[in-house]
Amino acid sequence: MRRLGARRERGWAAAILGALALLAFLPLAVQRDDVLNFVFVTLLSITLAQSWNVVAGYAGQVNLGHAAFFGLGALTARTLWIGGTPLAPALAAGALVATAFALLIGVAAFRLRGAYFAIGTLALGEILRTTVSNVLPEISTLPTAAIATYRLSQRYYLALALAALSVVAVALLSASRLGLGMQALREDEEAAEAAGVGALRLKLTALALSTALAGLAGGLFAYYHISYYPSHAFSPSWTFDALLMTFIGGVGTLHGPVLGAVLYVFLKEYLALRWVDFHLLIFGALFVVIVLLLPGGLVQAAARARRLLAR
Amino acid sequence: MLEVRGLEVAYGDARAVADVTLTVGPGEIVALLGPNGAGKSTLLKAIAGLLRPRAGTIRWEGEDLTRLGAHRIVERGIALVAEGRRLFGGMTLEENLELGAFAPRARSGLRRSLERVYALFPVLAERRRALVRTLSGGQQQMVAVGRALMSNPRLLMLDEPSLGIAPLLVRAILDALVEINRDGAAVFLVEQNVQAALGLARRAYILEGGRIAGEGPGADLLQDAHVRRAYLGPLALGAGP
Repeated sequence: MRRLGARRERGWAAAILGALALLAFLPLAVQRDDVLNFVFVTLLSITLAQSWNVVAGYAGQVNLGHAAFFGLGALTARTLWIGGTPLAPALAAGALVATAFALLIGVAAFRLRGAYFAIGTLALGEILRTTVSNVLPEISTLPTAAIATYRLSQRYYLALALAALSVVAVALLSASRLGLGMQALREDEEAAEAAGVGALRLKLTALALSTALAGLAGGLFAYYHISYYPSHAFSPSWTFDALLMTFIGGVGTLHGPVLGAVLYVFLKEYLALRWVDFHLLIFGALFVVIVLLLPGGLVQAAARARRLLAR
Repeated sequence: MLEVRGLEVAYGDARAVADVTLTVGPGEIVALLGPNGAGKSTLLKAIAGLLRPRAGTIRWEGEDLTRLGAHRIVERGIALVAEGRRLFGGMTLEENLELGAFAPRARSGLRRSLERVYALFPVLAERRRALVRTLSGGQQQMVAVGRALMSNPRLLMLDEPSLGIAPLLVRAILDALVEINRDGAAVFLVEQNVQAALGLARRAYILEGGRIAGEGPGADLLQDAHVRRAYLGPLALGAGP
Protein backbone atom coordinates (compact mmCIF):
# COMPACT_ATOMS: atom_id res chain seq x y z
CA MET A 1 0.00 0.00 0.00
CA ARG A 2 1.60 3.28 -1.06
CA ARG A 3 1.10 6.32 1.08
CA LEU A 4 1.95 9.95 0.55
CA GLY A 5 3.94 10.67 3.70
CA ALA A 6 5.81 7.44 3.04
CA ARG A 7 7.37 8.80 -0.14
CA ARG A 8 9.00 11.76 1.60
CA GLU A 9 10.19 9.46 4.38
CA ARG A 10 11.74 7.14 1.81
CA GLY A 11 13.83 10.08 0.61
CA TRP A 12 15.03 10.70 4.14
CA ALA A 13 15.70 7.01 4.71
CA ALA A 14 17.87 6.94 1.58
CA ALA A 15 19.77 10.08 2.65
CA ILE A 16 20.42 8.77 6.17
CA LEU A 17 21.48 5.32 4.97
CA GLY A 18 23.76 7.01 2.41
CA ALA A 19 25.40 9.02 5.19
CA LEU A 20 25.82 5.87 7.30
CA ALA A 21 27.36 4.07 4.31
CA LEU A 22 29.92 6.87 3.99
CA LEU A 23 30.71 6.51 7.70
CA ALA A 24 31.73 2.92 6.96
CA PHE A 25 34.89 4.32 5.34
CA LEU A 26 35.76 6.53 8.31
CA PRO A 27 37.95 3.98 10.18
CA LEU A 28 40.00 3.59 6.97
CA ALA A 29 40.52 7.32 6.58
CA VAL A 30 40.94 8.36 10.21
CA GLN A 31 42.92 6.34 12.70
CA ARG A 32 42.16 8.61 15.65
CA ASP A 33 40.33 6.80 18.46
CA ASP A 34 38.78 9.99 19.80
CA VAL A 35 37.00 10.59 16.47
CA LEU A 36 35.81 6.97 16.24
CA ASN A 37 34.62 7.05 19.86
CA PHE A 38 32.69 10.23 19.21
CA VAL A 39 30.98 8.82 16.13
CA PHE A 40 30.31 5.59 18.04
CA VAL A 41 28.43 7.52 20.73
CA THR A 42 26.46 9.34 18.04
CA LEU A 43 25.50 6.06 16.35
CA LEU A 44 24.51 4.46 19.66
CA SER A 45 22.41 7.55 20.39
CA ILE A 46 20.67 7.32 17.01
CA THR A 47 19.65 3.72 17.76
CA LEU A 48 18.50 4.60 21.27
CA ALA A 49 16.52 7.67 20.15
CA GLN A 50 14.95 5.80 17.25
CA SER A 51 13.91 2.96 19.55
CA TRP A 52 12.18 5.39 21.93
CA ASN A 53 10.58 7.11 18.95
CA VAL A 54 8.80 3.92 17.85
CA VAL A 55 6.62 3.59 20.93
CA ALA A 56 6.38 7.26 21.96
CA GLY A 57 6.55 9.01 18.61
CA TYR A 58 4.53 6.64 16.44
CA ALA A 59 2.21 4.91 18.89
CA GLY A 60 1.99 7.89 21.27
CA GLN A 61 2.84 5.93 24.44
CA VAL A 62 5.38 7.82 26.52
CA ASN A 63 7.88 5.38 27.98
CA LEU A 64 9.71 6.87 30.97
CA GLY A 65 11.52 3.64 31.82
CA HIS A 66 13.32 3.06 28.55
CA ALA A 67 16.62 2.68 30.45
CA ALA A 68 15.28 -0.56 31.92
CA PHE A 69 15.22 -2.20 28.49
CA PHE A 70 18.58 -0.75 27.51
CA GLY A 71 19.97 -2.02 30.82
CA LEU A 72 18.42 -5.49 30.48
CA GLY A 73 19.89 -5.80 27.00
CA ALA A 74 23.29 -4.75 28.32
CA LEU A 75 23.21 -7.04 31.35
CA THR A 76 22.05 -10.10 29.42
CA ALA A 77 24.37 -9.67 26.46
CA ARG A 78 27.41 -8.91 28.63
CA THR A 79 26.84 -11.84 30.98
CA LEU A 80 26.40 -14.30 28.11
CA TRP A 81 29.23 -12.90 26.04
CA ILE A 82 31.76 -12.91 28.87
CA GLY A 83 30.52 -16.41 29.70
CA GLY A 84 31.59 -17.58 26.25
CA THR A 85 28.47 -17.19 24.09
CA PRO A 86 29.26 -15.79 20.64
CA LEU A 87 28.40 -12.11 20.26
CA ALA A 88 25.41 -12.38 17.88
CA PRO A 89 23.32 -14.80 19.99
CA ALA A 90 24.28 -12.84 23.12
CA LEU A 91 22.96 -9.62 21.57
CA ALA A 92 19.80 -11.38 20.38
CA ALA A 93 19.21 -12.78 23.87
CA GLY A 94 19.58 -9.27 25.30
CA ALA A 95 16.94 -7.96 22.91
CA LEU A 96 14.67 -10.88 23.76
CA VAL A 97 14.89 -10.39 27.53
CA ALA A 98 14.24 -6.64 27.14
CA THR A 99 11.17 -7.33 24.99
CA ALA A 100 9.83 -10.01 27.33
CA PHE A 101 9.97 -7.61 30.30
CA ALA A 102 8.39 -4.87 28.21
CA LEU A 103 5.45 -7.05 27.20
CA LEU A 104 4.92 -8.04 30.81
CA ILE A 105 4.58 -4.42 31.93
CA GLY A 106 2.78 -3.45 28.70
CA VAL A 107 0.00 -6.02 29.01
CA ALA A 108 -0.75 -4.68 32.49
CA ALA A 109 -0.33 -0.94 31.87
CA PHE A 110 -1.92 -0.65 28.41
CA ARG A 111 -5.28 -1.83 29.68
CA LEU A 112 -5.50 1.52 31.41
CA ARG A 113 -5.29 4.68 29.36
CA GLY A 114 -3.40 7.86 30.01
CA ALA A 115 -0.45 8.17 32.38
CA TYR A 116 -0.40 4.58 33.68
CA PHE A 117 2.07 3.37 31.10
CA ALA A 118 4.42 6.31 31.71
CA ILE A 119 4.25 5.82 35.49
CA GLY A 120 4.52 2.03 35.25
CA THR A 121 7.63 2.16 33.07
CA LEU A 122 9.20 4.85 35.26
CA ALA A 123 8.70 2.63 38.30
CA LEU A 124 10.03 -0.44 36.48
CA GLY A 125 13.16 1.43 35.47
CA GLU A 126 13.92 2.59 38.99
CA ILE A 127 13.16 -0.78 40.58
CA LEU A 128 15.49 -2.56 38.18
CA ARG A 129 18.26 0.03 38.65
CA THR A 130 18.12 -0.27 42.44
CA THR A 131 17.97 -4.06 42.31
CA VAL A 132 20.89 -4.35 39.92
CA SER A 133 23.05 -1.97 41.97
CA ASN A 134 22.26 -4.03 45.10
CA VAL A 135 22.80 -7.46 43.58
CA LEU A 136 25.73 -6.52 41.33
CA PRO A 137 27.55 -3.73 43.16
CA GLU A 138 30.94 -4.69 41.67
CA ILE A 139 32.32 -3.11 38.56
CA SER A 140 32.11 -5.39 35.51
CA THR A 141 35.43 -5.72 33.68
CA LEU A 142 36.24 -7.72 30.56
CA PRO A 143 38.57 -10.73 31.04
CA THR A 144 42.21 -10.01 30.19
CA ALA A 145 42.02 -12.12 27.04
CA ALA A 146 39.14 -10.04 25.73
CA ILE A 147 40.95 -6.79 26.55
CA ALA A 148 44.03 -8.00 24.71
CA THR A 149 42.01 -8.55 21.51
CA TYR A 150 39.83 -5.45 21.94
CA ARG A 151 39.46 -3.56 18.66
CA LEU A 152 37.51 -0.30 18.54
CA SER A 153 36.70 -0.69 14.85
CA GLN A 154 34.61 -3.82 15.58
CA ARG A 155 32.49 -1.83 18.03
CA TYR A 156 32.25 0.98 15.54
CA TYR A 157 30.93 -1.26 12.76
CA LEU A 158 28.43 -2.91 15.06
CA ALA A 159 27.16 0.56 16.08
CA LEU A 160 26.89 1.50 12.42
CA ALA A 161 24.92 -1.65 11.63
CA LEU A 162 22.50 -1.12 14.53
CA ALA A 163 21.92 2.53 13.63
CA ALA A 164 21.15 1.46 10.05
CA LEU A 165 18.88 -1.32 11.34
CA SER A 166 16.92 1.11 13.51
CA VAL A 167 16.47 3.55 10.62
CA VAL A 168 15.35 0.79 8.24
CA ALA A 169 12.97 -0.63 10.87
CA VAL A 170 11.30 2.75 11.47
CA ALA A 171 11.18 3.52 7.72
CA LEU A 172 9.41 0.21 7.04
CA LEU A 173 7.11 0.75 9.99
CA SER A 174 6.08 4.27 9.00
CA ALA A 175 5.22 3.09 5.47
CA SER A 176 3.22 0.11 6.69
CA ARG A 177 -0.37 -0.46 7.67
CA LEU A 178 0.74 -1.07 11.26
CA GLY A 179 2.55 2.28 11.33
CA LEU A 180 -0.56 4.00 10.00
CA GLY A 181 -2.63 2.40 12.75
CA MET A 182 -0.10 3.47 15.39
CA GLN A 183 -0.24 7.08 14.21
CA ALA A 184 -4.03 6.94 14.40
CA LEU A 185 -3.73 5.74 18.00
CA ARG A 186 -1.44 8.63 18.78
CA GLU A 187 -3.90 11.14 17.33
CA ASP A 188 -7.10 9.81 18.91
CA GLU A 189 -7.24 6.39 20.51
CA GLU A 190 -11.02 6.16 20.81
CA ALA A 191 -11.53 7.21 17.19
CA ALA A 192 -8.90 4.68 16.11
CA GLU A 193 -10.73 1.91 17.99
CA ALA A 194 -14.00 2.99 16.40
CA ALA A 195 -12.35 2.85 12.98
CA GLY A 196 -11.38 -0.77 13.63
CA VAL A 197 -7.82 -0.39 14.94
CA GLY A 198 -7.15 -2.84 17.79
CA ALA A 199 -5.32 -0.52 20.19
CA LEU A 200 -3.89 -3.03 22.66
CA ARG A 201 -2.29 -5.25 20.06
CA LEU A 202 -0.76 -2.34 18.16
CA LYS A 203 0.65 -0.76 21.32
CA LEU A 204 2.23 -4.06 22.30
CA THR A 205 3.68 -4.43 18.80
CA ALA A 206 5.19 -0.95 19.00
CA LEU A 207 6.54 -1.66 22.47
CA ALA A 208 8.08 -4.97 21.37
CA LEU A 209 9.86 -3.38 18.41
CA SER A 210 10.97 -0.40 20.49
CA THR A 211 12.39 -2.43 23.34
CA ALA A 212 14.04 -4.99 21.05
CA LEU A 213 16.00 -2.11 19.50
CA ALA A 214 16.74 -0.68 22.96
CA GLY A 215 17.95 -4.11 24.11
CA LEU A 216 20.27 -4.32 21.09
CA ALA A 217 21.59 -0.84 21.86
CA GLY A 218 22.23 -1.98 25.44
CA GLY A 219 24.10 -5.02 24.14
CA LEU A 220 26.23 -2.74 22.00
CA PHE A 221 27.01 -0.61 25.06
CA ALA A 222 28.02 -3.75 26.98
CA TYR A 223 30.22 -4.90 24.12
CA TYR A 224 31.87 -1.47 23.85
CA HIS A 225 32.93 -0.76 27.43
CA ILE A 226 35.92 -2.46 28.96
CA SER A 227 34.56 -1.82 32.44
CA TYR A 228 31.44 -0.21 33.91
CA TYR A 229 29.08 -0.59 36.83
CA PRO A 230 26.17 -2.84 35.70
CA SER A 231 23.65 -0.43 37.23
CA HIS A 232 24.96 2.39 35.03
CA ALA A 233 23.21 0.85 32.03
CA PHE A 234 19.93 1.24 33.99
CA SER A 235 20.50 4.92 34.75
CA PRO A 236 17.44 7.09 33.97
CA SER A 237 19.74 9.32 31.91
CA TRP A 238 19.38 6.78 29.06
CA THR A 239 15.65 7.38 29.07
CA PHE A 240 15.94 11.14 29.19
CA ASP A 241 18.71 11.29 26.60
CA ALA A 242 16.49 9.35 24.21
CA LEU A 243 13.52 11.57 25.04
CA LEU A 244 15.48 14.81 24.59
CA MET A 245 17.09 13.73 21.33
CA THR A 246 13.76 12.65 19.90
CA PHE A 247 11.98 15.85 20.92
CA ILE A 248 14.81 18.12 19.77
CA GLY A 249 14.81 16.44 16.37
CA GLY A 250 11.11 15.85 15.85
CA VAL A 251 9.02 13.21 17.56
CA GLY A 252 7.10 10.76 15.37
CA THR A 253 9.22 11.27 12.24
CA LEU A 254 11.92 9.08 10.71
CA HIS A 255 14.66 11.69 10.45
CA GLY A 256 13.87 13.73 13.59
CA PRO A 257 15.54 11.39 16.10
CA VAL A 258 18.59 11.06 13.83
CA LEU A 259 19.06 14.82 13.54
CA GLY A 260 18.27 15.21 17.24
CA ALA A 261 20.84 12.59 18.25
CA VAL A 262 23.57 14.20 16.13
CA LEU A 263 22.86 17.67 17.47
CA TYR A 264 22.50 16.43 21.05
CA VAL A 265 25.79 14.53 21.09
CA PHE A 266 27.63 17.50 19.55
CA LEU A 267 26.09 19.98 21.96
CA LYS A 268 26.66 17.75 24.95
CA GLU A 269 30.30 17.31 24.06
CA TYR A 270 30.74 21.04 23.50
CA LEU A 271 28.84 22.14 26.60
CA ALA A 272 30.44 19.51 28.81
CA LEU A 273 33.85 20.84 27.85
CA ARG A 274 33.01 24.48 28.51
CA TRP A 275 30.29 24.56 31.14
CA VAL A 276 30.74 21.32 33.01
CA ASP A 277 28.43 22.28 35.85
CA PHE A 278 25.68 23.80 33.77
CA HIS A 279 25.31 21.60 30.72
CA LEU A 280 22.34 19.66 32.13
CA LEU A 281 20.62 22.90 33.05
CA ILE A 282 21.08 24.14 29.50
CA PHE A 283 19.55 20.95 28.10
CA GLY A 284 16.63 21.26 30.48
CA ALA A 285 15.99 24.82 29.33
CA LEU A 286 16.34 23.82 25.68
CA PHE A 287 13.81 21.03 26.17
CA VAL A 288 11.25 23.37 27.75
CA VAL A 289 11.70 25.91 24.95
CA ILE A 290 11.25 23.23 22.29
CA VAL A 291 8.16 21.69 23.85
CA LEU A 292 6.54 25.11 24.28
CA LEU A 293 7.52 26.77 21.00
CA LEU A 294 8.37 23.94 18.63
CA PRO A 295 6.62 20.72 19.66
CA GLY A 296 7.67 19.22 16.31
CA GLY A 297 11.38 19.89 16.96
CA LEU A 298 13.96 20.68 14.28
CA VAL A 299 11.82 19.00 11.64
CA GLN A 300 9.00 21.44 12.32
CA ALA A 301 11.41 24.38 12.44
CA ALA A 302 12.71 23.44 9.00
CA ALA A 303 9.19 23.14 7.59
CA ARG A 304 8.32 26.59 8.99
CA ALA A 305 11.45 28.12 7.54
CA ARG A 306 10.61 26.64 4.13
CA ARG A 307 7.13 28.12 4.26
CA LEU A 308 8.50 31.54 5.23
CA LEU A 309 10.98 31.48 2.35
CA ALA A 310 8.34 30.36 -0.13
CA ARG A 311 6.10 33.27 0.78
CA MET B 1 -30.48 -7.48 12.54
CA LEU B 2 -29.50 -5.43 15.58
CA GLU B 3 -31.38 -6.18 18.80
CA VAL B 4 -30.84 -4.04 21.87
CA ARG B 5 -32.57 -5.29 25.00
CA GLY B 6 -32.91 -3.59 28.39
CA LEU B 7 -29.75 -1.55 27.83
CA GLU B 8 -28.49 0.61 30.66
CA VAL B 9 -25.40 2.83 30.39
CA ALA B 10 -24.08 5.06 33.15
CA TYR B 11 -21.22 7.49 33.69
CA GLY B 12 -20.35 6.82 37.30
CA ASP B 13 -23.60 7.44 39.18
CA ALA B 14 -25.27 9.34 36.36
CA ARG B 15 -27.50 7.04 34.34
CA ALA B 16 -27.53 8.20 30.70
CA VAL B 17 -29.50 5.36 29.12
CA ALA B 18 -32.04 3.25 31.00
CA ASP B 19 -33.85 0.11 29.89
CA VAL B 20 -33.65 0.80 26.16
CA THR B 21 -34.99 -1.87 23.84
CA LEU B 22 -34.92 -1.41 20.09
CA THR B 23 -34.20 -3.19 16.82
CA VAL B 24 -32.80 -2.24 13.45
CA GLY B 25 -33.68 -4.74 10.75
CA PRO B 26 -31.57 -5.67 7.75
CA GLY B 27 -31.58 -2.93 5.12
CA GLU B 28 -33.72 -0.62 7.25
CA ILE B 29 -33.22 3.10 7.84
CA VAL B 30 -34.12 3.91 11.43
CA ALA B 31 -33.91 7.35 13.02
CA LEU B 32 -33.29 8.10 16.68
CA LEU B 33 -34.73 11.42 17.83
CA GLY B 34 -34.65 13.23 21.12
CA PRO B 35 -33.61 16.43 22.85
CA ASN B 36 -30.04 17.26 23.80
CA GLY B 37 -28.81 15.12 26.67
CA ALA B 38 -31.41 12.41 26.07
CA GLY B 39 -28.65 9.80 25.74
CA LYS B 40 -28.61 9.38 21.96
CA SER B 41 -24.83 9.59 21.56
CA THR B 42 -24.34 7.39 24.61
CA LEU B 43 -26.58 4.75 23.09
CA LEU B 44 -24.68 4.75 19.79
CA LYS B 45 -21.33 4.60 21.56
CA ALA B 46 -22.48 1.66 23.64
CA ILE B 47 -23.58 -0.23 20.53
CA ALA B 48 -20.22 0.58 18.91
CA GLY B 49 -18.40 -0.84 21.93
CA LEU B 50 -16.91 2.47 23.05
CA LEU B 51 -18.85 2.41 26.34
CA ARG B 52 -19.51 -0.61 28.55
CA PRO B 53 -23.21 -1.08 29.32
CA ARG B 54 -24.10 -1.62 32.97
CA ALA B 55 -26.98 -3.93 32.09
CA GLY B 56 -28.80 -5.33 29.09
CA THR B 57 -27.64 -6.99 25.89
CA ILE B 58 -26.70 -5.99 22.37
CA ARG B 59 -27.14 -8.74 19.80
CA TRP B 60 -26.18 -8.60 16.15
CA GLU B 61 -27.19 -11.37 13.79
CA GLY B 62 -27.65 -13.67 16.75
CA GLU B 63 -24.24 -12.94 18.32
CA ASP B 64 -23.87 -11.21 21.67
CA LEU B 65 -21.73 -8.07 21.23
CA THR B 66 -22.27 -6.63 24.70
CA ARG B 67 -18.73 -7.17 25.98
CA LEU B 68 -16.78 -6.87 22.72
CA GLY B 69 -14.20 -4.13 22.14
CA ALA B 70 -14.90 -1.43 19.57
CA HIS B 71 -12.51 -2.72 16.91
CA ARG B 72 -14.07 -6.18 17.11
CA ILE B 73 -17.50 -4.69 16.55
CA VAL B 74 -16.21 -2.95 13.40
CA GLU B 75 -14.94 -6.36 12.34
CA ARG B 76 -18.50 -7.73 12.73
CA GLY B 77 -19.82 -5.12 10.26
CA ILE B 78 -21.06 -2.23 12.42
CA ALA B 79 -19.52 1.20 11.86
CA LEU B 80 -20.09 4.47 13.70
CA VAL B 81 -19.71 8.00 12.35
CA ALA B 82 -19.17 9.66 15.70
CA GLU B 83 -20.38 13.03 16.84
CA GLY B 84 -17.85 15.73 15.97
CA ARG B 85 -16.41 13.43 13.27
CA ARG B 86 -13.31 12.37 15.27
CA LEU B 87 -10.98 12.33 12.27
CA PHE B 88 -7.18 12.16 12.36
CA GLY B 89 -6.50 15.79 11.51
CA GLY B 90 -2.75 15.51 11.08
CA MET B 91 -3.07 12.75 8.50
CA THR B 92 -4.12 12.94 4.88
CA LEU B 93 -7.65 12.37 3.63
CA GLU B 94 -6.71 9.08 2.02
CA GLU B 95 -4.84 7.88 5.12
CA ASN B 96 -8.02 8.51 7.11
CA LEU B 97 -9.99 6.45 4.63
CA GLU B 98 -7.40 3.66 4.65
CA LEU B 99 -7.68 3.49 8.42
CA GLY B 100 -11.39 2.78 8.00
CA ALA B 101 -10.39 -0.45 6.24
CA PHE B 102 -8.04 -1.52 9.05
CA ALA B 103 -10.29 -4.39 10.13
CA PRO B 104 -9.10 -7.68 8.59
CA ARG B 105 -12.51 -8.25 6.97
CA ALA B 106 -12.26 -4.99 5.02
CA ARG B 107 -8.57 -5.06 4.08
CA SER B 108 -8.79 -7.07 0.88
CA GLY B 109 -11.48 -4.81 -0.54
CA LEU B 110 -9.54 -1.61 0.13
CA ARG B 111 -9.15 -0.47 -3.50
CA ARG B 112 -12.79 -1.12 -4.31
CA SER B 113 -13.95 0.62 -1.15
CA LEU B 114 -11.81 3.68 -1.95
CA GLU B 115 -13.33 3.89 -5.42
CA ARG B 116 -16.78 3.56 -3.94
CA VAL B 117 -16.20 6.44 -1.49
CA TYR B 118 -14.74 8.67 -4.21
CA ALA B 119 -17.70 7.86 -6.47
CA LEU B 120 -20.08 8.76 -3.66
CA PHE B 121 -18.24 12.02 -2.82
CA PRO B 122 -16.31 13.08 -5.95
CA VAL B 123 -15.01 16.21 -4.21
CA LEU B 124 -12.91 13.99 -1.92
CA ALA B 125 -11.00 12.44 -4.83
CA GLU B 126 -9.52 15.84 -5.70
CA ARG B 127 -8.24 16.35 -2.18
CA ARG B 128 -7.03 12.87 -1.30
CA ARG B 129 -3.58 14.15 -0.32
CA ALA B 130 -4.75 17.12 1.76
CA LEU B 131 -4.35 17.04 5.51
CA VAL B 132 -7.79 16.49 6.96
CA ARG B 133 -7.62 19.50 9.26
CA THR B 134 -7.33 21.77 6.20
CA LEU B 135 -10.69 20.55 4.79
CA SER B 136 -14.01 22.35 5.25
CA GLY B 137 -16.48 21.04 7.84
CA GLY B 138 -18.66 19.51 5.14
CA GLN B 139 -15.75 17.78 3.46
CA GLN B 140 -14.61 16.47 6.83
CA GLN B 141 -18.06 15.02 7.42
CA MET B 142 -17.85 13.28 4.05
CA VAL B 143 -14.47 11.84 5.10
CA ALA B 144 -16.05 10.63 8.35
CA VAL B 145 -18.87 8.89 6.47
CA GLY B 146 -16.34 7.61 3.94
CA ARG B 147 -14.06 6.22 6.64
CA ALA B 148 -16.98 4.31 8.16
CA LEU B 149 -17.91 2.95 4.71
CA MET B 150 -14.36 1.71 4.19
CA SER B 151 -15.02 -1.03 6.75
CA ASN B 152 -17.76 -2.26 4.43
CA PRO B 153 -20.43 -2.16 7.16
CA ARG B 154 -23.81 -3.82 7.10
CA LEU B 155 -25.01 -1.39 9.75
CA LEU B 156 -23.93 2.24 9.53
CA MET B 157 -24.64 4.40 12.58
CA LEU B 158 -24.37 8.18 12.31
CA ASP B 159 -24.41 10.71 15.13
CA GLU B 160 -25.73 14.06 13.86
CA PRO B 161 -24.00 14.03 10.49
CA SER B 162 -25.52 17.39 9.47
CA LEU B 163 -24.35 19.30 12.54
CA GLY B 164 -22.62 22.56 11.60
CA ILE B 165 -22.54 21.88 7.87
CA ALA B 166 -23.66 24.05 4.94
CA PRO B 167 -27.17 23.02 3.74
CA LEU B 168 -25.97 22.05 0.28
CA LEU B 169 -23.49 19.58 1.76
CA VAL B 170 -26.13 18.22 4.16
CA ARG B 171 -28.14 17.30 1.09
CA ALA B 172 -25.13 15.53 -0.44
CA ILE B 173 -24.57 13.53 2.72
CA LEU B 174 -28.23 12.55 3.13
CA ASP B 175 -28.38 11.53 -0.53
CA ALA B 176 -25.29 9.42 0.04
CA LEU B 177 -27.04 7.67 2.95
CA VAL B 178 -29.93 6.73 0.67
CA GLU B 179 -27.47 5.29 -1.82
CA ILE B 180 -25.54 3.41 0.87
CA ASN B 181 -28.81 1.95 2.07
CA ARG B 182 -29.77 0.98 -1.47
CA ASP B 183 -26.51 -0.99 -1.62
CA GLY B 184 -27.80 -3.09 1.26
CA ALA B 185 -26.53 -1.55 4.51
CA ALA B 186 -28.92 -0.72 7.33
CA VAL B 187 -28.69 2.87 8.63
CA PHE B 188 -29.26 3.97 12.22
CA LEU B 189 -29.33 7.76 12.31
CA VAL B 190 -29.29 10.29 15.12
CA GLU B 191 -30.25 13.60 13.62
CA GLN B 192 -31.37 16.96 14.97
CA ASN B 193 -32.76 17.86 11.57
CA VAL B 194 -36.00 15.98 12.31
CA GLN B 195 -37.71 16.74 9.00
CA ALA B 196 -34.79 15.35 7.06
CA ALA B 197 -34.38 12.34 9.33
CA LEU B 198 -38.05 11.38 9.21
CA GLY B 199 -38.14 11.98 5.48
CA LEU B 200 -35.42 9.36 5.17
CA ALA B 201 -36.33 6.84 7.84
CA ARG B 202 -38.99 4.21 7.62
CA ARG B 203 -39.14 3.96 11.40
CA ALA B 204 -38.01 6.13 14.27
CA TYR B 205 -37.51 5.93 18.01
CA ILE B 206 -37.81 8.84 20.39
CA LEU B 207 -35.41 8.93 23.32
CA GLU B 208 -36.17 11.17 26.30
CA GLY B 209 -34.26 11.20 29.57
CA GLY B 210 -32.48 8.01 28.55
CA ARG B 211 -35.72 6.07 27.93
CA ILE B 212 -37.63 5.19 24.78
CA ALA B 213 -40.61 7.56 24.79
CA GLY B 214 -42.08 6.68 21.44
CA GLU B 215 -41.70 4.57 18.36
CA GLY B 216 -43.34 4.39 14.99
CA PRO B 217 -43.19 4.79 11.24
CA GLY B 218 -41.40 8.01 10.28
CA ALA B 219 -44.39 9.50 8.48
CA ASP B 220 -46.68 8.93 11.50
CA LEU B 221 -44.24 10.58 13.87
CA LEU B 222 -44.02 13.55 11.54
CA GLN B 223 -47.77 14.01 11.96
CA ASP B 224 -47.70 13.38 15.72
CA ALA B 225 -48.58 16.55 17.59
CA HIS B 226 -46.21 15.82 20.49
CA VAL B 227 -43.26 15.21 18.21
CA ARG B 228 -44.04 18.30 16.19
CA ARG B 229 -44.25 20.46 19.29
CA ALA B 230 -41.13 18.96 20.88
CA TYR B 231 -38.78 18.71 17.93
CA LEU B 232 -40.04 20.89 15.12
CA GLY B 233 -40.77 23.95 17.27
CA PRO B 234 -44.08 25.75 17.81
CA LEU B 235 -44.13 27.30 14.34
CA ALA B 236 -44.17 23.93 12.66
CA LEU B 237 -47.59 23.15 14.12
CA GLY B 238 -49.30 25.75 12.05
CA ALA B 239 -47.04 25.86 9.03
CA GLY B 240 -46.85 22.17 8.21
CA PRO B 241 -44.18 20.58 6.01
